[in-house]
Amino acid sequence: MLKVDDIHVYYGNIHAVKGISFHVDEGEIVSLIGANGAGKSTILKTISGILRAKSGNISFLGQDISKTEAHKIVRQGLAHVPEGRRIFLKMTVMENLEMGAFTRKEVSKADIEMVFERFPRLKERQSQIAGTLSGGEQQMLAMGRALMSHPKLLMLDEPSMGLAPLLVEQIFDIIKTLHNAGTTILLVEQNAGMALEIADRAYVLETGRIILSGTGAELSQSEEIKRAYLGG
Amino acid sequence: MLFLSQLINGLQLGSIYALVALGYSMVYGIIMLLNFAHGDIIMMGGYFALVAFAATTNPVLAIIATIVGCVVLAVVIEKVAYKPLRQAPRISLLITAIGVSLFLQNLAQLIWTANTRAFPSTEIIPAITFNVGGLSISLNIIVTICVSVLSMVLLAFIVQKTKMGKAMRAVSEDTEAAQLMGINVNNTITYTFIIGSALAGIGAILYCCRYPIVNPTMGSLLGLKAFVAAVLGGIGSIPGAMIGGFAIGLAEVFVTSIGLSAWTDAVVFAVLIVVLLIKPTGFMGASMTEKV
Repeated sequence: MLKVDDIHVYYGNIHAVKGISFHVDEGEIVSLIGANGAGKSTILKTISGILRAKSGNISFLGQDISKTEAHKIVRQGLAHVPEGRRIFLKMTVMENLEMGAFTRKEVSKADIEMVFERFPRLKERQSQIAGTLSGGEQQMLAMGRALMSHPKLLMLDEPSMGLAPLLVEQIFDIIKTLHNAGTTILLVEQNAGMALEIADRAYVLETGRIILSGTGAELSQSEEIKRAYLGG
Repeated sequence: MLFLSQLINGLQLGSIYALVALGYSMVYGIIMLLNFAHGDIIMMGGYFALVAFAATTNPVLAIIATIVGCVVLAVVIEKVAYKPLRQAPRISLLITAIGVSLFLQNLAQLIWTANTRAFPSTEIIPAITFNVGGLSISLNIIVTICVSVLSMVLLAFIVQKTKMGKAMRAVSEDTEAAQLMGINVNNTITYTFIIGSALAGIGAILYCCRYPIVNPTMGSLLGLKAFVAAVLGGIGSIPGAMIGGFAIGLAEVFVTSIGLSAWTDAVVFAVLIVVLLIKPTGFMGASMTEKV
């Protein structure tokens, strides 16, 4: 479904992503794990068209999207929930959801209901300004907003960041539910334990390179991973 | 009674400043550019109105031609001068805007000479004066205030309720996140310039009806004052630009009415200095804090 082939990404002179290749098949949950600065967010930004790869190819559903503008990539069914949620803090919860449906002809009531069903807290707060939501609610809004575009592939960047353990559990439960409902998921996480637990497959990144890959179960058993990421 | 008539006079001038300040503030909100060419768009609008009225002698056609002329000019400027600098440092964009301003002034001088021309204000808004309980109000004042307020209500509706208006707010808050929603940022910026310069076109007609002359440098002082109004209200904020515009207009008229007409410009710029010293975010400006 998504195929990333040997991409190199630079920030000015800094070579942030050094020849990364991986793929995501339909129906999978794939995790990218690694420490800060490993290049995980850069990879997602490059896939969604915010950044450009200097070389390499990215294809989605068989189409080359490495030169496509970001706003057109969303239309093809690829939604990106960015790091730090990036909801529109000055707009209401409802307006944020409407922005999520920007690519659609109109904001359908059924879609809003679908999001409210998954995230009942958002329904209670629909006319509130998004900046007044708690961190967990903001993450839910960011995910709900992405769902409004009916994505085939949902990319989540650090959905557990800054959240209390109980909320992290809740967010991962929601990810599983979305997956069971047929959405393919590409997950970037520093929380390696949780990310490996739900992943079909995972890739481990270090300073812009993939150093290990395998199924979620294999990697969580690997001594190297245990030592470096799972604290033991 | 004198107070009341000065108040109305101030509201008239203020509503023009508000229209111009809106253009400044909206463009700043979306691409962080202080568009110093905005005042000169109004100057060009004054000439467009002159030329169109001379050609058609029809005030309605002249008004339409002015608005269309200002919109086309602003969109061309955005595409040619500002768009290539989207990724450049903001100072480059600012210097470019000053360059565009000088270019427009000299272009006007080249086409229409540096001579001041009379504007046919009474042909566009007839010189009728109403007497309301001893208070004389000209039709010019009534039209100016009504047209400005209507334009602002329409603008508020567009920005708050329409899909494009919401996209403008989204881009202005977070360009990258807006792209991830599928919003075409370049189109949204173009729409912002269209709306801002349409308001400038309306402002040009109203300003020329109040001060019925046109010359190539008329835009610079007007533009600077509207800029002060935008800063006073909180640059980037739409309601702020409206409030700031009215505040500057009223201040100017009252300073004149107490006999200090030579000081009006000084007072306006003193306001800018005081605002920047005491509350740089203006009345309605967002503070620069970020929630992580």
